Amino acid sequence: MIIKVENGCFTYKHGRRQVLDNINFEASAGDVVAILGPNGAGKTTLLRCTMGFLKWSSGRSLLESKDFRNLPGKELWKTLSYVPQAKQVSSAYTVREMVLLGRSVEIGVFSLPSKEDVRKADAVIEKLGLSRIADSKCSEISGGELQMVLIARALVSEPKVLILDEPESNLDFKNQLLVLDTITELAASGVCCIFNTHYPSHALRRANKTLMLSPGGSHLFGNTRDIITEENIEKVFGVHAVIGDIESEEKIFQDVVAVGIKADSDQTQTKGSSGSAVATVSIIVSDTSIVTDVNSILHRYSKYIIGRMGMPYKKAGFNMINIFLDAPVTEIRALTDKLNLLPEISVKTTYGKELNQHR
Amino acid sequence: MKDNMAASRGKLKKIEFLVLVLFPIVCVLFALSVGRFSVPVTEIFHSILNKFSFDFELSGQTELVLWTMRFPRILMALLVGAGLSVAGCIFQSLFSNPLASPDTLGVASGSSFGAALALLLGANLILVQASALIFGLCAMALTWISGSGRNSNKVSIVLAGIVIGSLFSALVSLVKFSADTESELPSITYWLMGSLSSAGYNTIALGCPLIILGILILFLLRWRLNSLPLSDDEASSLGINVKGLRIVCILCASAITAASVSMCGPVGWIGLLIPHICRMRFGSSHVSLLPASVLAGSGFMVLVDTAARSISPSEIPVSILTAILGAPFFIILMKKSGGWNL
Repeated sequence: MIIKVENGCFTYKHGRRQVLDNINFEASAGDVVAILGPNGAGKTTLLRCTMGFLKWSSGRSLLESKDFRNLPGKELWKTLSYVPQAKQVSSAYTVREMVLLGRSVEIGVFSLPSKEDVRKADAVIEKLGLSRIADSKCSEISGGELQMVLIARALVSEPKVLILDEPESNLDFKNQLLVLDTITELAASGVCCIFNTHYPSHALRRANKTLMLSPGGSHLFGNTRDIITEENIEKVFGVHAVIGDIESEEKIFQDVVAVGIKADSDQTQTKGSSGSAVATVSIIVSDTSIVTDVNSILHRYSKYIIGRMGMPYKKAGFNMINIFLDAPVTEIRALTDKLNLLPEISVKTTYGKELNQHR
Repeated sequence: MKDNMAASRGKLKKIEFLVLVLFPIVCVLFALSVGRFSVPVTEIFHSILNKFSFDFELSGQTELVLWTMRFPRILMALLVGAGLSVAGCIFQSLFSNPLASPDTLGVASGSSFGAALALLLGANLILVQASALIFGLCAMALTWISGSGRNSNKVSIVLAGIVIGSLFSALVSLVKFSADTESELPSITYWLMGSLSSAGYNTIALGCPLIILGILILFLLRWRLNSLPLSDDEASSLGINVKGLRIVCILCASAITAASVSMCGPVGWIGLLIPHICRMRFGSSHVSLLPASVLAGSGFMVLVDTAARSISPSEIPVSILTAILGAPFFIILMKKSGGWNL
């Protein structure tokens, strides 16, 4: 564990509403933590409190088991780097000068950057593919480029923890991917990345841990797959959402799609608990030894199964199975999840229209 | 690679540096030679060499004009020009506000009030300057107190500066109102228009330590100053003591301003004009911006003051000239480089 927040509460001075209520989370080297929440939930406040820009009303942040408040600034900012949102920049420094500013923590108050500092800044510029714009002014480059420059500035101090404030909002698809890929690469090299986002799908695809923040100040923290569920998104974001798979030729991506705004009257009724549906579960197993496991799982759901088709494709060692179900939505989901946990398996579930009203 | 290294550290290119250093030197020689009593450049060199125990034939009148009348004035112009440019440059970065100038904090108005008050009381020159200094720093403190605190930001400091500035302007008017119209009012009014005609080695000796010290501290901090326009969160995440840096910068820039105003009255425009020209030409990194502002500002001030004393038989207040010369020049530059960016 490299960074940890314990019982963090925050209320603005003279403010009545508690913005953050008893926040707890921790992250280790190589973790990608997404802080997910709708606008106004206090995501930025949480980051600012975590880094000590705002003081926790109670609770504390720990860096490598040491309280932030007891750490000298120099030690703290050598380990931790902050990437602000690339919203407005009022300074016309060149990209080189801006990135070099990231070395400030190593450079004495009255000194100029050394050759070593310049070399390190240039290396990061090169690594993030910014060489082309290295001598352009920060006020004249695109939003995506500016965000990468700010990430570069944070990286020149060679931090162990990188905290990014909505790094991918306001960016187009390509630049979003560029930023998110950079985060993934950094995590793979052992940097702990914590980022704010209001896109559940970014959290779902990139983060291994997620902290979901409700506007009320409460939160959920855990492994991303446990936290980002349709129910939780509905509760926190106030929208009906569907989590599903999107397939490209090589990969299956999980994605979240918001399908409608939750009406106030819906609040008492939690979706899926009572509803039933017909569904097809398509399974492709690439290892025949798994088939017995699949069958034993299916056996437990036999009362819901209204039909099944199976076909071994021996030449390639594949087995293809189709199950037809009429079951409560929760049971269908549970079955899908159980199957998904098996190795060497692809599972996809297609739902029919819900029938709950008429049964 | 070497140039690359210099560029990323924000240093000036050699040729730029050479031109910048030559500019004030040429201006000084020009200012020494031009005037109602014209002195050829060769005689200036002879006179300078005489100081180093050479022996050239020169008339006593030339010596008197050069070293008693013109040189102290030029020296003061150099100091004031450099000081106001640096102060303006710092205020602009500090408030991320291209319109900031030494007047933003109300320091100039405060100093003006101090000086006017002392003139009203018939104090001597030394006291006038001391009073300008004290009230300048008072104005700065008032601005600091009223503009900082809970929910404060860069804008609220500037707003407080404007409020405090107009308060002191009103006080200056009060001083003028109660001044004796025959003797005191003209001298106060003339001083308020800004003029270097009072220059003497004594005045300079009183004003220069603060200006030189302020510039020196800021010059040593020059790379660190690059973090000034960043937001507080950003700057502190770079391991910078933001509050400390801001306080040092405000103190230095205010002291420079107060000392300048106390020597020659409020000279407008320089603090806005020179830093912007330098930013457009040499970039925003303070490593190059600060030396460039010092050199360009001092040279420019010498030129303007020379014009002020030689254009017409009676001297024109220098503030009028800086505005008349500066405004169009500035607009052309701004149109050309297309920006208010810091």
